[in-house]
Amino acid sequence: MRVLCCLDGTNAEQIGTALRMFTAVQPLTVGMLHVTDTRPREDMDLIRERFWRHPLHPHHAPAPPSEHLPHPSPREEEIYEAEKASAEEILKESRSYCAGAAIIGREGRPELEIVNLAAEWRADLVIVCSRAAYQSRDQIGPKSVGHVARFVVDHAPCPVLLLRPTVRDHFPLER
Amino acid sequence: MLTLFHLPEFWKALLSSFIALLTLAGIMIRPFRWNEARIAMSGAALLLFLGLISPRDALFTLLRDWNTFFFFLGMMALSALAETACLFDWLGVQAARLAGESAARLFLNMFLLGTFISMLFSNDATALILTPIVYVLVTKLRLPALPYLFACTFIADSASFLLPISNPINIIILSHHPLNLPGFLRLLLLPSVVVIGINVGVFFFLYRGQLGGSFDVERLSSPQTAIKHKAYFRYTCCVLAIVAPAYMAASAVHFPLSVVAMAGAMLLLAGALYWRRTTLCQAGKGISWSIFGFIAGMFVVVRAVERTGLTTKFGNLLLHLSRGSSLGAVMVGTAGAALGTNLINNVPMAVLMNSALVSIQNASPGIRQGFIAATMFGCDLGPNLTTVGSLATVLWLLILRHRNVDVSGLDYFKVGIIVTPLMLVAGALTMWLLL
Repeated sequence: MRVLCCLDGTNAEQIGTALRMFTAVQPLTVGMLHVTDTRPREDMDLIRERFWRHPLHPHHAPAPPSEHLPHPSPREEEIYEAEKASAEEILKESRSYCAGAAIIGREGRPELEIVNLAAEWRADLVIVCSRAAYQSRDQIGPKSVGHVARFVVDHAPCPVLLLRPTVRDHFPLER
Repeated sequence: MLTLFHLPEFWKALLSSFIALLTLAGIMIRPFRWNEARIAMSGAALLLFLGLISPRDALFTLLRDWNTFFFFLGMMALSALAETACLFDWLGVQAARLAGESAARLFLNMFLLGTFISMLFSNDATALILTPIVYVLVTKLRLPALPYLFACTFIADSASFLLPISNPINIIILSHHPLNLPGFLRLLLLPSVVVIGINVGVFFFLYRGQLGGSFDVERLSSPQTAIKHKAYFRYTCCVLAIVAPAYMAASAVHFPLSVVAMAGAMLLLAGALYWRRTTLCQAGKGISWSIFGFIAGMFVVVRAVERTGLTTKFGNLLLHLSRGSSLGAVMVGTAGAALGTNLINNVPMAVLMNSALVSIQNASPGIRQGFIAATMFGCDLGPNLTTVGSLATVLWLLILRHRNVDVSGLDYFKVGIIVTPLMLVAGALTMWLLL
């Protein structure tokens, strides 16, 4: 069974726990995916355009020469280095929860990259968390599933396992 | 060319207005993604070619506004050279360390840092230099990037009327309609504080779900390692410590602010060249040269319209809409400037309002000051409504979204449409109370 796990920088442990439940039943081929979101860079480009500056270079350093854009500035190199280091650290961390996993790093819109890679990689199951756990509020309720998880559930080419945190103190809900 | 045909004044006025409207429409729509500078300069060139404005008049208009051009140049150079000294990186790391590992406190610190940078270096520096620094910081700290990026983008404009130097738009308006420093502070300091308070409060509410966590400060480098060259860094701090009070003194005695900005920039450039931190070519890359073409083009186009009397009529209309009350002046000035800014960009709107405000010179001091302060307020804060530049860009993004193309920028608009009207109304009412 080929399982694609979606890392967001906060969920490696949660995914590791879920994988342990599966490996007890059958052998797995696991892929650990981290997508560097390009949206912040696109947002910064919009602001740069408003203030009459060139957009940031669309590719990671070393960037291929472009006819319309100057070479990446030191600031751009710094941005790409920070993104690269963060992605590598997150993927490395995930290895402690699943030693033999294939490590896959991508950049783009996380939701699109996840479903496209699931098809390309021929995943039998995608494991995704409901939203990045930056804090413990809103773990249940109407907005507890983020837009990435929602998109993956809607568009994935295979079954999706949606991981939610364990929350028992809000119950019983009003009937 | 038309001077050869001796067109009647009526037709000249009609033709000038038509070309000006075409230029403004071009800036709004940006056909074929043309640069606004090219459109503004084409409009000006057409007016000159058709003899609708004389070369002498155009040259006089541009020379009269030398303070604006040099302020833009000095301001951009100061920011770029301070960035070379790693001043903003150092401030960013310090703000993160002072946050005590709390994501919420870091968010507040970024607002405070953005306010400080906008106040002394203008909104340009916060939006263009601080934003990527903050992005790198939060990426290293594994915090959600968007709330912090939006905080920098919005505070750049929200804090851009604390001082005359906080936004070049203020210089464009103050060059034609002088308002002394105590008058400026009396009318705009408190509204600034109110607007910044609303911005911070609403953002904390909107992003409350992403700010409750903490971060590991050890992921950050020390403030010392953020500085690449200590001597140049110290020199930059010293120069800026002189430039900041010099700005205040110059504002107080009506000395051209561009001279202070240019002098500061020259001092920093000399230091950067001495310590080999930059070359003239690299320093030049930190400046957006096309903006000068844009401003020059707009000055000439608006001057041609001014000669037709249309801008006077526009000014009279604003005065009429205000019904002769200071509340009306503040509300009409704010709403008009903010809407116009989102339609045609804030530089042309400021130039247009400059010309229109000439016709309110005979109004009472309260109404006149109300209009001037509200124009600066609306032109400075207005861009936060769409953030991405103009309504035309937002419409284009909406069309793309309708075609199922996922686009950036709409998120900005969604936040801007919530927070900006609130800030405009609260700020304008505060300003009215102070009149």
